[in-house]
Amino acid sequence: MSKFAWVTLTTNDTYSLGALVLAHSLKRAKTAHQLAVLVTPNVSQAMRDRLNEVYNVVQEVNVLDSQDAANLALLSRPELGVTFTKLHSWRLVQFEKCVFLDADTLVLQNCDELFEREELSAAPDVSWPDCFNSGVFVFKPSVDTFAQITEFAVKNGSFDGGDQGLLNQFFADWSTADIKKHLPFVYNVTAYASYCYLPAFKQFRDKIKILHFAGKLKPWLIQFNSETKVASVSSEYAHAQDLIQLWWNIFCENVIQSLSTEMAGLAGALSQLRIGQQRTPEQEAYENQMRRQCWESGQIDYSGADSFENIWKKISQTLERKTEKESEETGSS
Amino acid sequence: MRRQQSYRFEDNESTSYALRMNRRFSRVESGADLKDYFDRGDIASRENRWNFEVAWEVANKVGGIYTVIRSKAYVSTEEMGEQLCMMGPYKEHCARTEMEEMEFPRGNPLLDAVNSLRSRGYKIHTGRWLVDGNPQLILFDIGSAAWKLDQFKSEMWEKCHIGIPHLDIETNDAIILGFMIAEFLEEFRNFAVTYSQNNELSAPRIVAHFHEWQAGVGLIVLRTRLVEIATVFTTHATLLGRYLCAGNTDFYNNLDKFAVDEEAGKRQIYHRYCLERGATHLAHVFTTVSDITGYEAEHLLKRKPDIITPNGLNVKKFSAIHEFQNLHAVAKEKINEFVRGHFYGHIDFDLDKTLYFFIAGRYEFGNKGADIFIEALARLNAMLKHEKPDTTVVAFLIFPTKTNNFNVDSLRGHAVIKQLRDTINNVQQAVGKRMFDTCLQGNIPNADDLLQKDDLVKIKRCMFAMQRDSMPPVTTHNVADDWNDPVLSSIRRCHLFNSRHDRVKMVFHPEFLTSTNPLFGIDYEEFVRGCHLGVFPSYYEPWGYTPAECTVMGIPSVTTNLSGFGCFMEEHISDPKSYGIYIVDRRYIGLENSVQQLSSFMMEFSRLNRRQRIIQRNRTERLSDLLDWRTLGIYYRQARVKALQAVYPDYVDELSLYGSKNNLIFSRPHSEPPSPTSSRHTTPAPSVHGSDDEDSVDEETELKELGIK
Repeated sequence: MSKFAWVTLTTNDTYSLGALVLAHSLKRAKTAHQLAVLVTPNVSQAMRDRLNEVYNVVQEVNVLDSQDAANLALLSRPELGVTFTKLHSWRLVQFEKCVFLDADTLVLQNCDELFEREELSAAPDVSWPDCFNSGVFVFKPSVDTFAQITEFAVKNGSFDGGDQGLLNQFFADWSTADIKKHLPFVYNVTAYASYCYLPAFKQFRDKIKILHFAGKLKPWLIQFNSETKVASVSSEYAHAQDLIQLWWNIFCENVIQSLSTEMAGLAGALSQLRIGQQRTPEQEAYENQMRRQCWESGQIDYSGADSFENIWKKISQTLERKTEKESEETGSS
Repeated sequence: MRRQQSYRFEDNESTSYALRMNRRFSRVESGADLKDYFDRGDIASRENRWNFEVAWEVANKVGGIYTVIRSKAYVSTEEMGEQLCMMGPYKEHCARTEMEEMEFPRGNPLLDAVNSLRSRGYKIHTGRWLVDGNPQLILFDIGSAAWKLDQFKSEMWEKCHIGIPHLDIETNDAIILGFMIAEFLEEFRNFAVTYSQNNELSAPRIVAHFHEWQAGVGLIVLRTRLVEIATVFTTHATLLGRYLCAGNTDFYNNLDKFAVDEEAGKRQIYHRYCLERGATHLAHVFTTVSDITGYEAEHLLKRKPDIITPNGLNVKKFSAIHEFQNLHAVAKEKINEFVRGHFYGHIDFDLDKTLYFFIAGRYEFGNKGADIFIEALARLNAMLKHEKPDTTVVAFLIFPTKTNNFNVDSLRGHAVIKQLRDTINNVQQAVGKRMFDTCLQGNIPNADDLLQKDDLVKIKRCMFAMQRDSMPPVTTHNVADDWNDPVLSSIRRCHLFNSRHDRVKMVFHPEFLTSTNPLFGIDYEEFVRGCHLGVFPSYYEPWGYTPAECTVMGIPSVTTNLSGFGCFMEEHISDPKSYGIYIVDRRYIGLENSVQQLSSFMMEFSRLNRRQRIIQRNRTERLSDLLDWRTLGIYYRQARVKALQAVYPDYVDELSLYGSKNNLIFSRPHSEPPSPTSSRHTTPAPSVHGSDDEDSVDEETELKELGIK
């Protein structure tokens, strides 16, 4: 068995969809190494079982577990609680070296060469290239390092309130010390248009190894037509349409079958979808619910399904249906 | 004041007064008044007609809509009395001071409906709004129905396919309020029907008027639940229009080209926009506040307004006709005082030949037209230097923005001036005492003995303090981020630095005016009265209360044909300029031409002599009747009637049978030769000449004196 592992983290069932697709994308890229996932207590048992099928290790992280000295210290800084979950990766000491991947990343090509790098190797962040983006990084699990980072966190906090700020402070010499620790950008390409250098994206797209859906629009929140299996991508992601489609293809082929209604959030809703078949009224109802969820999370397909023209059609339907009902009533009385 | 006035109108004696007033105002038709319908709801109750007015800002001051509804309350209650009820959200801090809580009388369907809603767990406050007219008020506590939010949102989704993002708290609140109000009206209608059957009345007719998109939610719910209630929807500006204009787009030239869904989506206001547009299309009658907003709505909301409902004011009338002229003089003296302090050491200009121009409003540099104002001032400066070097214009820019307190130099100026005044007063007293003593001894006072060296030294010391090397500051405060401030950058670019040679002096006052301000202690109304000309060359201004307020105080103003006010004046006055309303064209000509036009208007105004300005103010003040809610309320009435007729086709508006059609047109002033108005809908009716003593100033000579082309 390999002593190396890919590590990811999921905090709820919806995010776990990303983790599942990520695992399958790694397998498609024929990685030789193990997979590990950290889960928080919010992740349902049903989802953990599914994760267990693809990940070699499913490790629960309980932030409030006071058995632990480091945790006790952290209790004094509750705002760091969530940030802290990612740090638990360092406790996976059964592995010699690991690569952390956010659950909203997608591996496009085999990247096993990453394990030749040292701690801490990462790719620069697009908006501040002197900081690394903490969505993809190589590290060496060690209880000592974990204790040091924790202590550092309690003392200094994080300048952006998140894990990226904390890790950049801790590994402060990343930008200057050793160029080998700078991963090429193709290992962590942010796909969101406003962060993206579009001509370069087109030029080098075949070289992209890992795509990172940073930003609030996650692939699982994108409108997806279960009948045609096509994801309708909004303008922010137009350049990456085929990659988003790839995410959904993996989802359709490897993930959806294993979802169940016991799961919470979007995962539960998606489990009802029957891919590539004529839509049943049930399914329509679920898609309807998904669309509403998209509105409520602020992702509105205003140039497509949700255009005002369609809204007005819907309103007119409502008005007509009522008039019909009314005329029936008056007719019968 | 207001109360007294209403008595005056009811009085027999007052009829003659009102008549006289009317004659003074060259009103075309007296039938255009809402006053003809002032019966405190008599007819409405006979017709079993109920009116509701719904807005987010009823008894809840947030922005401009509050002013509209509050000032209209008086005429609305005069017209509809107890048949009218206003509805809005219950906001404790506001409601506490503005509402007198009481229950509706028993047997009134309003009470039944309120109780029915209360039994659903909603908290509802009823009573009267403590503003002129004391309209009935129902306020809904949004928190008390928050637990039903998800249900409401589901209904909105199922019926309209409009979803509401969780993060947008304001819209979620609007949803709750909208559903509460719709449920209330639905209940009210049921109770009113039973009530009417029990009392053998004709079937009730209900009309609800909704303002702005927040209230529009209620309209959508009512219509999609198919409740038989007539609805009117008014937008005071479109959501998208505000956003587009804030982003410095070439708005009016591209109005028909915007991909509206996408623009709204990009700005993350798509859900709000859908609610607004949905309400617009679902309303039986859709109105906007001005033609220009109507044009905007036609393209951004895709519906042309059925009726334009301009905003009015509560016009305060003085018993003495020319009282406002005296107030101008008093207020002007206060401004003089400020100018003396601000420009200390540089007062080489004659305050009697100084004109005060001002611009005021929310600090939206481009939308309010501050950009072209400053540019035009620079040109006015050049023209004045050349043509009328003895006239000085002081331009005040009142735009509240972030500051780091007062400018030390401006504070110092006021201290220095105060010191001089105190010293002179002391010297004056001493001289008086000496003179008295000398005379008492039987001697004729000798000039040399009276003013002693000591006094001269004191005076000299003051004068020395008054000297300064620097130029008077262009702003009274230290503006935060001074280098990027748009007003200050423009002033720098145009080199308007208040040097001795400049005939246009700038004062940027980045704070609201209050009478408690130690530097410039004057409140806004008084300040306006003391100024000579208000300049509001707005690019985006759905209505424009600022020029309207100027007008009712008798202060001439510059406006544009892109502001609702300007459009309104253009439509209703044959020759606005002769009434002191200068309208800059910002719609059909280029920016450069607009700047030229604005500067030529200001130059034209600067050429007037004192007497001409007095005449012009008289005329301006005469327009206040036109802006009074008593006149403009009629359009709201028309909108309601039209909506009622859409829902109840058999509804006949009794009064309109013998009331006349309403086309208000102000002719040129009597003394002016009639302009060729044949192209307009009506010709001005001849008015009685020379019958009013106060108007002697309005005789034939006036035109010559005024010299307005």
